[in-house]
Amino acid sequence: MSDTKDIKFNIYNPVITYEHRAAFDLIVSHLQEIFPICNQGKCKALEVSDDPQKQKQINDLMEKVEFFSNSLITITKVFFDQLYRAKQTSSQSISQSTAMIKIDMIERNLLERTCDVRWWALEKAFWECITLADQNPDQLTKIIKPTRKAPAKQSGKSSKAESDLKNAIELACTRLEDIRNSYTLYRDLVIATIDGTVVANSNAERRDSILGTNVSDEEWFQKALQTKDGTEYFVQDISKSKLEDSDSLIYSTALRANGDEQGEVIGAMGVLFDFQGEGQIILNDYMPQDRSGSILDGWFSFFTNADGRVIGSSDEHFIPSGDLADLPRRHWRLTTPGEVLVSNAIVCGNRSLVVSHKSEGFDEYKGLGWTSHLVLPESAMFERSEENIDYGISPQELMNSKLIPDTNKQTYQEIQRNKGDIQLISINGIILATDLGKAGTSFIPIFDQITTTGNSTTGKMEELLSEMSADMLQQNLKALENFSKQAIDLIDRNLFERAADVRWWSTDHAFWEALQNNTEENFEEASKRLGIINASYTMYRDLVIADSNGRIVANSKSENRDKLKRMNVSEQSWFRQGMQISRSVQYGVQDVCNSDLENEETSLIYCGGILENGEREGKVLGVLGILFDWENLVCPILEGCLPRIKNEVVEGGAAFYMNDDKEIIATTDAENFPIGQEVNIPAENMNLEAGESASGIFTDKGRKFIIGSSKTQGYREYKGLGWTAHVVRPID
Amino acid sequence: MLYSTFYLGETQMGLPIPSILEIGRGFDFHPVRGAPEVIDGLINLRGKVVTIINTGLAFETQKVLASDESRVYILKNNAELREVADADFDIETSPDNIGIHVDRIADVISVEKEELQPVPANINHPFYKHVVRRGNEFIIILEPQKILNLNENQELLS
Repeated sequence: MSDTKDIKFNIYNPVITYEHRAAFDLIVSHLQEIFPICNQGKCKALEVSDDPQKQKQINDLMEKVEFFSNSLITITKVFFDQLYRAKQTSSQSISQSTAMIKIDMIERNLLERTCDVRWWALEKAFWECITLADQNPDQLTKIIKPTRKAPAKQSGKSSKAESDLKNAIELACTRLEDIRNSYTLYRDLVIATIDGTVVANSNAERRDSILGTNVSDEEWFQKALQTKDGTEYFVQDISKSKLEDSDSLIYSTALRANGDEQGEVIGAMGVLFDFQGEGQIILNDYMPQDRSGSILDGWFSFFTNADGRVIGSSDEHFIPSGDLADLPRRHWRLTTPGEVLVSNAIVCGNRSLVVSHKSEGFDEYKGLGWTSHLVLPESAMFERSEENIDYGISPQELMNSKLIPDTNKQTYQEIQRNKGDIQLISINGIILATDLGKAGTSFIPIFDQITTTGNSTTGKMEELLSEMSADMLQQNLKALENFSKQAIDLIDRNLFERAADVRWWSTDHAFWEALQNNTEENFEEASKRLGIINASYTMYRDLVIADSNGRIVANSKSENRDKLKRMNVSEQSWFRQGMQISRSVQYGVQDVCNSDLENEETSLIYCGGILENGEREGKVLGVLGILFDWENLVCPILEGCLPRIKNEVVEGGAAFYMNDDKEIIATTDAENFPIGQEVNIPAENMNLEAGESASGIFTDKGRKFIIGSSKTQGYREYKGLGWTAHVVRPID
Repeated sequence: MLYSTFYLGETQMGLPIPSILEIGRGFDFHPVRGAPEVIDGLINLRGKVVTIINTGLAFETQKVLASDESRVYILKNNAELREVADADFDIETSPDNIGIHVDRIADVISVEKEELQPVPANINHPFYKHVVRRGNEFIIILEPQKILNLNENQELLS
């Protein structure tokens, strides 16, 4: 029988809803009504029969009824506890996933930044500019601080050195602007001489105030100078910098002589990531909103740094950046990467659930020890879902499904057994009463009452169980929706980076020079340059350049060169798209397909136009195509979005992407949801609008699945390819 | 008269309450070698040996399987029937106590004599005695004697 000694949610617990308290009172009061009825029955037994055997039989029956009624009262208490525990466990699990998704999202983004800064520091325009500036300090002062010193233009005498330096600074600024135009995640990018003077930046609006600023006392600059070679970088956690008014997150590395990764340090490059803008998008995501689009009261999402200070918040009014968060102290400083802490606490005046997830970084990027926190009102865990959608699944089927914890199923069976026992006792009582003839008829109402009470109380409990199983279904559907949203967001963000990469790389001097002066040496130089890029970024299989006739003239991987040199790609979509490009901010993409550029089953190719003289706008000379390492990169993303229970992937859980033609283009389960196939998922999940999510139930090969789906909404300049992400788990 | 109703598959049937000795569940059936398939086995009911008929097989439909919901009706023998006080009915069972195994029990219903309708000829069956209408449902009232004396229906024992 059920045990009441470990009950956590008794009926006096404030989180128990009014409706449930009323239901509890109803059940218990009905069951207690049975006891006087049984006493009445025992008394009647003496009245109507002199036969001691008959009297004993009736007494036995009454005692059995009392026993089962008592048992049902106990089960009722346990049942409410289990009902609330199940909701709590499910809510906590979803909240933990949400906190984890947010920190994972930002860390993946920051990993990309570490690649970016290291690669950009090798740019010829930057090290040439710094070299000239270091060689001509006086001219530099004249150029970048013309108002304080004699302005260069007004003097009328401009030496060649000064003019060369001026041109170099202009070119460096232009190239920095190009980067910022391609990668819109940065507020500014700067390069500084070895003594810390900023000589070029990307943000033209702030140029007057930034150029000439000395950053030699800033940590990002000092640490950049200390990097050992071109593979190292430094990241300065959110802090104040002279370079801007708001708090900055700065990635930096050294600029080296002649752009040689092992060369002498001649200056530093710093890139100012728009953490606040990016953080805001992530923090506001996955939060419940009211009809006007505002996050519901009592829900907060924020990041804290290693010191426990808030660095970004979904609600700056209640949880302002810079402050220590209003949380139990142990949430401020989690020590182990990946550590999760869940507490109940008063936050901003509300009884809340607080979930904190410390970052573990992503891949080789170890992160800055930040923690993601999610706070929600305690009552939100136990609220009934407002959605009341009929998914065509019976309460009985749902109750027996894998969504319902075993303990709840056992309670359900216990209730069923007790219900059956009371029914049996009542009928046997009626049989006994009938045997007593007319004298026994007075027992009939007693047993009728026992049957009615047994039925109504167990019926009410079944109703609550059915409510619970419907809630569990809703919560699980919501969780799958979140996972699918995470899956589509991650791929969108990743592909945004690819779109940025291809646009920037297309402007590389080695490429347009090779296509303008098409000598073998120039093509070799271009191939070498492509090789360096591919070594810095791990997510490409190959990078190729095709001339305007579609002939491959350079590629990053020497082992593919012979095969590619004989190839003409003029009929391929990526090439044709690339040849239409006339501005460096444009790019093209060929959706996942089978390409003869490589042996893999599926390729995803981004392309950028290589424009004459590396101009921002002009005649296209050829096309840069970059082959994204699709399977190897997409599968870990999908695997990271699979439904889990206690860190173990749910049996049969799967995630897959579908293209605009509703065909699977990547999957974690090649057996049941293979690439190239269509799946019979509900129409609501199939026909989504951009940015929409949906959930539902479907049957595939005789198994019933629940599914969460989300359609791409793109990310920043990347508009997406109409893909949808789907996460499923079987329930039978 | 009161009737206890039960389900055999989707069909609701009823037995007169006075014919029932008791209803139980979770009995251990002792198989009897050589007994017809329609017999689930024997049970020990407080010292009495009672034969249990599988009602599903008796009706030549799906065998009733022991489950949380299945129940066994133990019927009175003819001598016990005569001991029922103020008896005002003409029910016969059998000389021995015999039980019938059913899928699940339902409500007890009170049926007036005039509610008992003859069984339509096209659905007639040796075990059926009357039909009672309850709302949109029909309940078949069984003739206990016929089920319990299966030896009169030799083909069922083959």
